[in-house]
Amino acid sequence: MSPPRRLSDTAYLSQMLPLPLALPLAELEVGQHLYWHLGNLKIHGQVFLSSWVVIGALLALVFVGTRKLERDPRGLQNFLEFLWDYIRDLAREQIGEKAYRDWLPFIGTLFLFIFVSNWGGALLPWKLISLPHGELGAPTADINTTVALALLVSLAYFYAGLSRKGFRYFEYYVEPTPIMVPFKIVEDFTKPLSLSFRLFGNILADELVVAVLAFLVPLVVPLPAMLLGLFTSAIQALIFATLAAYYIGEAVHESHH
Amino acid sequence: MTPLNTLVFASHGSFGLNLDPFQTNIINLAIVIAILVKFLPGFLGGILQRRREVILAELKDAEESLVHASAALALAQQELSSSKAKADQIRIDGKARAQAIRLEGDHRTIQEMALLKQGADSDVNAEVSRVRDQLRREAARLAIEKALVSLTTKLDSQSQARLIDQSISNLGNA
Repeated sequence: MSPPRRLSDTAYLSQMLPLPLALPLAELEVGQHLYWHLGNLKIHGQVFLSSWVVIGALLALVFVGTRKLERDPRGLQNFLEFLWDYIRDLAREQIGEKAYRDWLPFIGTLFLFIFVSNWGGALLPWKLISLPHGELGAPTADINTTVALALLVSLAYFYAGLSRKGFRYFEYYVEPTPIMVPFKIVEDFTKPLSLSFRLFGNILADELVVAVLAFLVPLVVPLPAMLLGLFTSAIQALIFATLAAYYIGEAVHESHH
Repeated sequence: MTPLNTLVFASHGSFGLNLDPFQTNIINLAIVIAILVKFLPGFLGGILQRRREVILAELKDAEESLVHASAALALAQQELSSSKAKADQIRIDGKARAQAIRLEGDHRTIQEMALLKQGADSDVNAEVSRVRDQLRREAARLAIEKALVSLTTKLDSQSQARLIDQSISNLGNA
């Protein structure tokens, strides 16, 4: 067991936990990032690395699963078709029969990326690879990732509404009464905010709970939290995709015929 | 823009492996993955197997109904061709009958027209003779009237006597 490497990090933790500082256990880091410099931008390298792994895994899965399509669905093809059915049902239920086809790829991508990110973060032994700074983990445990996803959802539902209804989209703001205008405008800001913070908070909290429990009692005790984490990560992916689809459905919905 | 390798190396420190089993939480991860590997294939595999069976059953149903439908189609096509033949036959018969009826109709029309003409001719003849009779009668009546008028003016006892004599002599000659 190495002594704490960065004193400030351990101090950070000791504010959360009533522990003596000099406890000779594994240290826990929060808020450390592997910074890459791209022009003036500082980007979180560990998020990119794990995102690439997730994206690569998804592409490989889809590529291998659809290489030889048969009428009798077996193995991976059957699994992919099952996923497709699931995502289609989700999108159709939320967006409606008329417009869901346009948004099925977007919703499916969101769901699969978040799901595989979450499960990858919870299941892959990322910490075997040590980085110069920070540590690898679920890409969705970084607020930047979830904010990006949530802003994409905002753009998507604005685009969906405007492209389908033109400027009549803004009738949505005065329905059912014009009193709703300020609330609806505030909603446009709270939607991405709540989407991103919900996902980020859940995944980060899950990782932290597991890390803290593993830090206190290395064996067996973190197991329930890890299994629960798998469950909540799956639910979070579902919630994010469902809400994205719901917002798009709300934007393309025709209230009066 | 800086190339990627300088990007990566710009962050000081280094990449490496961390093999400490407690820091990496590897034991718990192994247990969780083992649990998943044990239970997930059963759960997911069951769903996928059921899905596959449903799809195969639907495919089989579809193939069966395809066979049925093609049999019915063949039957219907056969019926169609036989009814086409029947329809052709009926059409030919009908044409022939129509031709016959038309000919007969023409014939009858011509006959009736002849009859009508005949009737009209006889009507005209009857009218002509009737009118002629009438005219004759009228002429006779007029002649008698004129004769009567001229009789009253021209007749005196002398000429009456002469007329009677003449008439008697005429009678005597006859």
